[in-house]
Amino acid sequence: MNNSDKNNTNTNGGVEIFSTEKALLLDHNYDGIRELDHVLPRWWVWLLYATIVFSVWYSGYYMLGSGPTPEQELAEEMTRIEALKPPTNAGGLPEAASLVSALGDTSRANHGREVYLGKCVACHGDHGQGTIGPNLTDEFWIHGGAPTDVARIVAVGVPEKGMPPWGPLLSPDELTDLVVFIDSIKGSNPAGAKAAQGEKYDAKN
Amino acid sequence: MSQVQQSQETFSYDDDIVKKFTLATLVWGGVAFLVGILAALQLAAWQLNFDLSWLTFGRLRPLHTNAAIFAFGGNAIFAGIYYSTQRLCKARLFNDTLSKIHFWGWQLIIVAAAITLPLGLSQSKEYAELEWPIDIAITVVWVIFAVNFFGTLARRRERHLYVALWFYISTIITVAVLHVVNSIEIPVSWFQSYPVYAGVQDALVQWWYGHNAVAFFLTTPFLGLMYYFLPKAANRPVYSYRLSIVHFWSLVFIYIWAGPHHLLYTALPNWAQTLGMVFSIMLWAPSWGGMINGLLTLRGSWDKVRTEPVLKFMVVAITFYGMATFEGPLLSIKSVSAIGHYTDWIIAHVHGGTLGWNGFLTFGMIYYLIPKLYRTELYSKRLANMHFWIGTVGILMYLIAMYTSGFTQSMMLRAIDAETGKLVYPDFVETVVRIIPLYWARAVGGILYLAGFLIMCWNVYKTCQAAPKKQPVEVFRAPAMPAEEVGGHWHRRLEGWMPTFSVLAFLAILVGSAIEILPTLVAHTYTPVTAGVAPYTALELAGRDIYVREGCYNCHSQMIRTLPEDVLRYGKPSLAEESMYDRPFQWGSKRTGPDLARVGGKYPDLWHYRHMLDPRSVTPNSIMPSYPWLFDAKTNFDGLNRKFAVMKSLGVPYTDDEVANASKAARDQALTIANGLRGDSPVKNLEDREIIAMIAYMQRLGAKR
Ligand code: HEC
Ligand code: HEC
Repeated sequence: MNNSDKNNTNTNGGVEIFSTEKALLLDHNYDGIRELDHVLPRWWVWLLYATIVFSVWYSGYYMLGSGPTPEQELAEEMTRIEALKPPTNAGGLPEAASLVSALGDTSRANHGREVYLGKCVACHGDHGQGTIGPNLTDEFWIHGGAPTDVARIVAVGVPEKGMPPWGPLLSPDELTDLVVFIDSIKGSNPAGAKAAQGEKYDAKN
Repeated sequence: MSQVQQSQETFSYDDDIVKKFTLATLVWGGVAFLVGILAALQLAAWQLNFDLSWLTFGRLRPLHTNAAIFAFGGNAIFAGIYYSTQRLCKARLFNDTLSKIHFWGWQLIIVAAAITLPLGLSQSKEYAELEWPIDIAITVVWVIFAVNFFGTLARRRERHLYVALWFYISTIITVAVLHVVNSIEIPVSWFQSYPVYAGVQDALVQWWYGHNAVAFFLTTPFLGLMYYFLPKAANRPVYSYRLSIVHFWSLVFIYIWAGPHHLLYTALPNWAQTLGMVFSIMLWAPSWGGMINGLLTLRGSWDKVRTEPVLKFMVVAITFYGMATFEGPLLSIKSVSAIGHYTDWIIAHVHGGTLGWNGFLTFGMIYYLIPKLYRTELYSKRLANMHFWIGTVGILMYLIAMYTSGFTQSMMLRAIDAETGKLVYPDFVETVVRIIPLYWARAVGGILYLAGFLIMCWNVYKTCQAAPKKQPVEVFRAPAMPAEEVGGHWHRRLEGWMPTFSVLAFLAILVGSAIEILPTLVAHTYTPVTAGVAPYTALELAGRDIYVREGCYNCHSQMIRTLPEDVLRYGKPSLAEESMYDRPFQWGSKRTGPDLARVGGKYPDLWHYRHMLDPRSVTPNSIMPSYPWLFDAKTNFDGLNRKFAVMKSLGVPYTDDEVANASKAARDQALTIANGLRGDSPVKNLEDREIIAMIAYMQRLGAKR
């Protein structure tokens, strides 16, 4: 707007009115506030109509028509996700032979320690001595001490006793690394070790 | 002109009450911002919870929201409404004593809130946390405000009501309805009550209230203020009277329906979710009507905006209003809600509205009011400009940080490996660690905003100091209210009939409220009493009340949505019947921590014991506060019989025996849990401690019984 359009008419209680606006000025005057009567902006009216039309269509489709419910959409999506296969060995459990051959591999044990420190310390202590969960360094095991037993318990957990299932959160490699790490701290006799739980396990059996 | 012949009446305005409310706005604004900053810092550094019960995040966050909305916003509204209504009506406020009771009553309520919320006396319903005695006080003071306001309108010397007054009328009526309906509760003691609504009903009523608190406490009154102060400050006529009419009625009619957009993908019946979404979308244009009328009023006056701080603040305020009211409908689209809900995106959305729209409009209004009220010039325009820039930078920093945080965390939480179908970030805390730097940035934004605010306080102080000591009462003259004119446009005539106008404004909000709420209240079809959901045991109820007291819902949801990312992380979607005994409901609105709907049985008791004592001992890097006082405080076993009795009167199927034995049953259950932990705990009389009740409640969540 050009300044020359401005026509400061003091008759309007000091309110600035442009010459082009004079015809639109209403006789309303509230404490000096005046009102123009511009027509509704065209795009604004269209916006209002468009949202109404969309809303009527949307409600009709989802409330009366064939629109799927959130439950149906979820079920479809979950079927798709559950159909996806884990990349390597079925069930996510490493095979016994590959587990045994991995034992003693220090780089795997080191990596296993990292995973352990992230996910297991809270319940098994920083040295595997056992806090909330059992001691993992002694020769007593509730669910068996063979590498395959350990791998299985870590993967499926004992939810009713408070050992979470880790299978969904670990790759098969990580699972193997954890087993290798747990094997590596066997007999380390850490300070504050929790009393033995379960049966004595002897690898020679 | 015939008016000249009419006898003139003389009158003066009560500006003293305006000064009081303005001052209170400044005081409580400072408190609200300060508490907000502390809460923000607590998320960046958990140590700032100081292991003190009354300073923990869960108790401070409601204090922050209540102080910001009702203390800062409320006092600002009252100041602006009282100032403008007198002038728009050419009449003094109805009754000076009522004004004073209104003022002191409101301040007393705020003080009561500031004491009770940190003490953990809370109903946990967001922005309606205050306990029942305060609820009653709010009702009384609000009615006094209404009498004073409508009394003033009744004595007006101006036939027609100006658009600002329409918005005030709608505000006063609707807030009364919202507050009363949402606060129907049965007292258990002086400081505790249970709502009459349970679970999904409670959720629906609460978010009908919560959403419309934003609509009718933070939007309509501020639009009214905009319609008065903007044209006054700009010295320009309002752009379009017609637009005022259309956008006012469409806004109040549509707004009231939109509440369920807070509950998308939850256990709320689907039809209600759909209504919430579509009405939010239809709200876009009516909201923007206000923005257009504000911004276009300034057409041709942009040179003034560059120099006049009042206008600067108002223009930015209106712009933020426009942004927030575009974003609101956007976030209500179901698939967008799936991304934004429970994350910091919502925090960003809200603060665009509050810091930008409410805050800046209030600041603009104060810079306009203070010189007028004290009949002097503003002490320093330079300082006002400085405030403007520091505040704007503060808001932008806040928003950028929270948008980034919201998107980042949401993308991580939603990430599902396309090959394995597993969550890419199964550890919740990993997503928290990622956004901590953004929490620091947000706090800095908040500090800047507060700094600007303090500059304003200084400016106001200096202005008042320089004001002339003698301020004689100004006397005005005007003829009595002219008789109604015949003919003319129907809406113009309606503006002359205050009672009819008010009744229509009431009906406009009644329609949507009734259609959405009544079916849920009368028909219990949404909570089929299927096998499986047992009422809480006495100890679990005690633990639940502690959960409510500590405000855990400020960080934890208990509502697994019908979305794959929720189901993969937390288990099968929550069902309406699972919260059918939940008074109040605890669905939550923000996941700073993981959902807890199915946490029961996930960990051993000892895990919870250690976690509550120090979350970092079991989850390194957790930002959850420690709750050491739960290990000292004793569970209130004796109060449980009464709680059970109240629950039974509300329809929970407890037998008379269970009611009579509640306290004993709770002690027995506590002993069992405590015995399991005894070996690992140095705490004496462990079974008496609140931690045991809390563990009982945690282990119950989502567990099939
Ligand atoms: C929330 C606490 C918790 C966490 C975290 C946890 N565990 Fe456990 N864990 C337990 C409990 C409790 C048991 C005992 C289960 C029982 O009594 O049957 C257990 C048992 C075990 C066992 C079997 C011990 C035995 O004696 O048979 C192994 C192996 C094990 N956990 C490994 C792990 C590994 C590896 C991790 C990290 C990936 C882990 N745990 C994380 C709580 C936990
Ligand atoms: C400041 C926000 C905050 C508050 C307040 C808070 N929490 Fe948490 N909570 C978290 C975060 C973050 C985590 C995830 C990290 C962890 O396990 O500590 C969490 C985790 C949890 C978990 C473990 C959930 C799981 O599935 O692993 C439980 C249980 C829990 N909180 C209970 C509570 C209770 C009970 C309260 C109230 C007394 C509470 N929280 C208050 C932030 C909070």
